[in-house]
Amino acid sequence: MKNYLKLVNFEFNRVVKLFTILLGITLVVQMAGVIVQSREYLGRANEKMNEDLMSKAQFLTDYGQISFAHIVRSVWFLGPIALCAAGVAFYIFLVWYRDWVGKNTFIYRLLMLPTTRLNIFFAKISNILIMTLGLVAFQLILLPFEALVLKWMVPDDFRNDMGVKETITSIPELTIIIPNSFVEFVLYYGAGLLAVAILFTAILMERSFKWKGIIAGVLYSAMAILVLISPVLLQELVLNGFFYPMELFVIEIVMGIIVLAVSIWMSGFLLKKKVTV
Amino acid sequence: MKKYWKFTAIIAVIVLSIGTFYVNSAISADQNPEFVIKKESGDTKELEPLVLEGSYQGASSGNYVSRDLKITRQGTEYRNPSFLNRLIGSPMPVIESLQEQYRGFMRGKSPSENLFFENDRFLAYANVDYEIGFNSRESKDYTFEIDILNKKEDSTDSFTMKVPDANKMDHVFVDDVQIINGELNIITENMVRDNNSDRLYGEKHIYTIDMANQKFIKHEPIIKEPKGQDNTHFDITFIEAEGSTKMHEKLLFLTTEREVIKDRESTRIGDTSREAISYNLKTKEKRRLSEDLNLEENEISAFDGSAIYLTKVNGQKVMVTPFHLEKKQLGDSYLFQLSDKPMNEVPPLIKIKDGKLYAASNRMNSNTTASVIVADLKTGDSLFKGELRIKNSEDEIEDYDLYIHDIFVK
Amino acid sequence: MIEVKEVEKKFGRKKILRGVSFTAKKGEITCLIGINGVGKTTILNAIMALTPVQKGEILLDGEPIKEKTFEKISFIPDALTMLPNMTIEKAMEFMNDFYTCWNMERARELLGFFRLHKDDRIASLSKGNTAKVNLLLGLALDVDYILMDEPFSGIDMFSREEIANVFTSHLIENRGVIITTHEVSDIEHLIDKVVLLDDGVVTKEFDAEKAREDDGMSVIDVMREVYQG
Repeated sequence: MKNYLKLVNFEFNRVVKLFTILLGITLVVQMAGVIVQSREYLGRANEKMNEDLMSKAQFLTDYGQISFAHIVRSVWFLGPIALCAAGVAFYIFLVWYRDWVGKNTFIYRLLMLPTTRLNIFFAKISNILIMTLGLVAFQLILLPFEALVLKWMVPDDFRNDMGVKETITSIPELTIIIPNSFVEFVLYYGAGLLAVAILFTAILMERSFKWKGIIAGVLYSAMAILVLISPVLLQELVLNGFFYPMELFVIEIVMGIIVLAVSIWMSGFLLKKKVTV
Repeated sequence: MKKYWKFTAIIAVIVLSIGTFYVNSAISADQNPEFVIKKESGDTKELEPLVLEGSYQGASSGNYVSRDLKITRQGTEYRNPSFLNRLIGSPMPVIESLQEQYRGFMRGKSPSENLFFENDRFLAYANVDYEIGFNSRESKDYTFEIDILNKKEDSTDSFTMKVPDANKMDHVFVDDVQIINGELNIITENMVRDNNSDRLYGEKHIYTIDMANQKFIKHEPIIKEPKGQDNTHFDITFIEAEGSTKMHEKLLFLTTEREVIKDRESTRIGDTSREAISYNLKTKEKRRLSEDLNLEENEISAFDGSAIYLTKVNGQKVMVTPFHLEKKQLGDSYLFQLSDKPMNEVPPLIKIKDGKLYAASNRMNSNTTASVIVADLKTGDSLFKGELRIKNSEDEIEDYDLYIHDIFVK
Repeated sequence: MIEVKEVEKKFGRKKILRGVSFTAKKGEITCLIGINGVGKTTILNAIMALTPVQKGEILLDGEPIKEKTFEKISFIPDALTMLPNMTIEKAMEFMNDFYTCWNMERARELLGFFRLHKDDRIASLSKGNTAKVNLLLGLALDVDYILMDEPFSGIDMFSREEIANVFTSHLIENRGVIITTHEVSDIEHLIDKVVLLDDGVVTKEFDAEKAREDDGMSVIDVMREVYQG
């Protein structure tokens, strides 16, 4: 356990730079988005009211108030989120390959540590989770500050204030990363963790058996997906809806846990017996 | 410990930020207004069994929301759209109680009230299943899937029967299931292909089955869409009785015939004529009720198996008239004052239970009020009269709509 | 004692090791000699469980390799074993964090011995100094066995001398060492035992001192006899 925590800390320090860069980009681009978009809106308001002599009330009925939802639905806002998602996806592969590739053969050191090699797997997967949740947490902290900037930029009459929760629930894109309820949050990120575990297993297969491992990895992933959806397939195609929804849900959770356990076991086996420097 | 500070910090930030967000969203009060039924006259006790189901739509802070809700005597309960709730779904109360009582039997059965029949001896279920052919023109091999639970013996009889003439059919839907005199009746809506005109014609069909021998005793159409009338649109609706899982000797159908006028540029609907038809499952006889019901003026609002409740909205007043099928005559009409403010012309939702009539308007907003009425059907006395209101006046906003989709009486 | 028994290893269809067996005792320096590509590094990797073998068995003091083994044996590979952006000090701290057998005192001693600066980044080191850092990290572990892969390859003369000095110092005393090399001359006089490898098998395993004393042959003489004779 102690070694695991040491390794997680070590791995986190390795990614902290990339992580900070992603946070920085998110902060700068989203803040810029708030400023640019409120200026655009105010600019339009000025133009319509001063040049086209539209009354304020008329402008508000025609164009509406600006709310944070407008800002969230722009590239300024969703772009950095997509970038962060891509960054994490990229890092899922990098977290392993960086130890093998090029001059850096840190994998020698990792595999020679006097601790179970599964800790390496756990440390790397924990890191992916910490990085992801860190980005989500940062976005949650950022939202009220961005709303504050909007408040400073736009006069009350033209503005429609929304709470953080309201902002998130009103935009489907955001509910993907910040689901409405904690249960969903656990399920979403649990499923994500499972997917990463399957990918890690496939990566370790490639590391163990090279190109044959790629085929094995693809097959393993396909099998895992098949196992995961098999209860739903059976329910729909063979059993004619035999299970009640709650039962099916529990079965799916059990399936997920089984696939996760098999992936962990398989990864442990590969790291111990099959992996090569 | 110093070298762990970044790691410790990020974990702390994650837990605090995400934790705060979900704790806050769990404890923060609903922003949406609370609706209450405000008494104008009568006894609020009469509201006890009443549940109004609907949805609230508002432009709360410029942000469009739509939330499902339930209004009872106690107030408003917004349906929690939590993941698990959505997953489990919310079957009708009848189905829910059947699922609790007969968990094994109810497995894999479509949760629609009209597919079930229950009396003290049997719980029966019938639905239509089919194999999808290679193309839609191919016959779909329609089969009745029938399951009958014998409550006393606690045994289940499951069997399938090929739908006769299935090769001519494009769709078969089950409208109702009834056991009368030990015979199983399945009432369906069939879409039958006519090879001559290459068109589909709708019909209501009844299949009578000998449950012991699993054989058709007979089957026949109840009402058929007339052929050769290309310029009309014909529609047959089965009017589900209150508590359709219970035994009803009489079925009620409503046919609507609309004239379709084709101009060079557009198609529009011309004259509409409606006809109500009752069907007696025991005698297999049907009867036209049109003259009695005066459907030009009245709407059919409820059917409890023995009486049809006709409603007619006139300004702020609604007139309810029962028509007794057995006596073949109209009963006394009752006039209910719904609200003082102008309201829409859509008739209110009506439920009949235990000799009482429950009525509620189906819409409310800042210009329209919604009334709730409980009345005694025998005497015509109003037992309760009230109005839906927003509890806290500061919650009142300009732009909102409350729709009542359904009313339930427990 | 490290026992390598009938180890076979394939890369694809090519058999690199075809039943290699030898032993290395504590307190002895065993030298694996063979031309490049003969599988010397593979044997060391296999001992450290860094690459799977198809057949055979490797035992350390009678037991198969497991995670605890890494507190008893250290491997000094011919590759970077620490992150390039780490300083030498950070690398030492890393070792201290994970190994209970890490000897910080000895690590500092080695730092002085090799004249390395603790604040230097590993990426900025010369080939010779990189090899020295590797040695430092391997030797500062209080382990019974040390494996070294080509410690002299590609290293300048002076560094070579410094490294060779390690073998005569107390740093090696009482430990079992397996060293691979294709240039035996630098350490010929230090070697206790020689394992000659060719074509995936051990062609000769002999005691270097005995050969010197009994037959009056140097290690190179024996090699010549085996490979050319």
